[in-house]
Amino acid sequence: MPRFTLAVVLACSLACGCPMLGGPLPTKGPASVIEAPVALPNENGSLKFAVLGDFGTGFRPEYELAQRMLEVHKQFPFEIVLLVGDNLYGAERPQDFKRKFETPFKPLLDEGVKFYGALGNHDAREQRFYEFFNMGGKLYFSFHAPHEPVRFFVLDSTYPVPEQIEWLKKELEDSKEDWKIAYFHHPPYSSGGRHGSDVKLRQTLEPLFVKNNVSVVFTGHDHFYERIKPQQGIVYFVVGSGGMLAPGDITPNSPITDKGFDRDRAFLMAEIKDDKMTFQAISRTGEVVDSGIILRRKQNP
Amino acid sequence: MLILCLLAVATGSVPNPPNPAFQEFETRLKDYVALHRKLEEALPKLPDKATPEEIDRNQRQLGKRIAASRSDSRPGEFFTPAIQDLVRASLKDVLNDMGKKNLMGSIMDENPGPMKLVINTRYPDEVPLSTMPPPILAALPPLEEDLEYRFIGRRLVLLDVHAHLIVDYTDEVLP
Repeated sequence: MPRFTLAVVLACSLACGCPMLGGPLPTKGPASVIEAPVALPNENGSLKFAVLGDFGTGFRPEYELAQRMLEVHKQFPFEIVLLVGDNLYGAERPQDFKRKFETPFKPLLDEGVKFYGALGNHDAREQRFYEFFNMGGKLYFSFHAPHEPVRFFVLDSTYPVPEQIEWLKKELEDSKEDWKIAYFHHPPYSSGGRHGSDVKLRQTLEPLFVKNNVSVVFTGHDHFYERIKPQQGIVYFVVGSGGMLAPGDITPNSPITDKGFDRDRAFLMAEIKDDKMTFQAISRTGEVVDSGIILRRKQNP
Repeated sequence: MLILCLLAVATGSVPNPPNPAFQEFETRLKDYVALHRKLEEALPKLPDKATPEEIDRNQRQLGKRIAASRSDSRPGEFFTPAIQDLVRASLKDVLNDMGKKNLMGSIMDENPGPMKLVINTRYPDEVPLSTMPPPILAALPPLEEDLEYRFIGRRLVLLDVHAHLIVDYTDEVLP
């Protein structure tokens, strides 16, 4: 999609308020998704963020996707980007950090956008010290969003060791934020032919997510975009579409797919205000390939 | 003790007797990690917000110190013949049980294929870190956070993560 078309899509999308389809919003119970097309409300004071995964190739499509993110940022000034892993492919020398991350994303870094990394299976653990991934030297951590009562839980899904799971349990229990969002690399649910669902990880994490009111989970690893049908009240995304691409890898007619896109690179934009998270998945060419509204889970009385 | 044994039998949780090969492997790992941490503590601590140059410099300094301290290291010091057999058998089982095609596909993703490796030297800068699928990791002896396993071709490499150093490797562990 040419730039003009993207501008029109975003302009319409941002200007026309929030045309929600699908009837009145439920107010209790598990997270629910109202499917699109919906606009990003772009409200003052809301939390605006992006999600990106499996991107650090240093090749042209990654640069084009970064450019697209910059164009979106001009109209929808997101403050943070969640990185769901495989942040650098291949070598990780100082020049690789530049070519595969700092150069393509320099305009966003210059705008003050903060990236928060999770480690993927191809990432060296020393990335946790890298200044622009904001991991504070930790393999797993949590942080409070700059706006809205939102806490992100960042996991190292390659090594879900007991210490990490214990930490997560306590961190989730102690969190007082309305929105609890987890992100990490390996998808508990995925329709990928190459990797697919990590069932063991799901068995470990999902009970904690359900018990502690996690509403949304972002992952990568499979090289496409997929939104999973809500599972146990939680909405899972696969956003491994940032640089590598596995065209046609989404299993056709997968019973867990709500929406899939595996024809081009893509990233996710999201906005949280009060109990509502509005999202759009945007391709390298500027096409909005998915959108919707998620209502957060609320603790059952 | 008898009660505990009976309880274990009743619950079907009779542990296998410790394998001497694994015990030896664990002991050697423990000694290695102790040395690694001692040498690492002597270096300036990497800041939480480091530049790529600082990360690289830190890795190389630690790698040099470990290599110098272990100049007499030799291939097979960790992956002894007994451990090699156990690793091969364990990986064969997990590949058969969990789906060989998918797991091998993951392992070979970004896997550079066979190449010359030298222990106690820096992991080749140009070589990607291959995928270690969680079921494969679960089938291997656990490691401290300072170390990890990676495949290069069909070789299993024991990698010092902080120093980016090849500690040991074993050939043809995959079918």
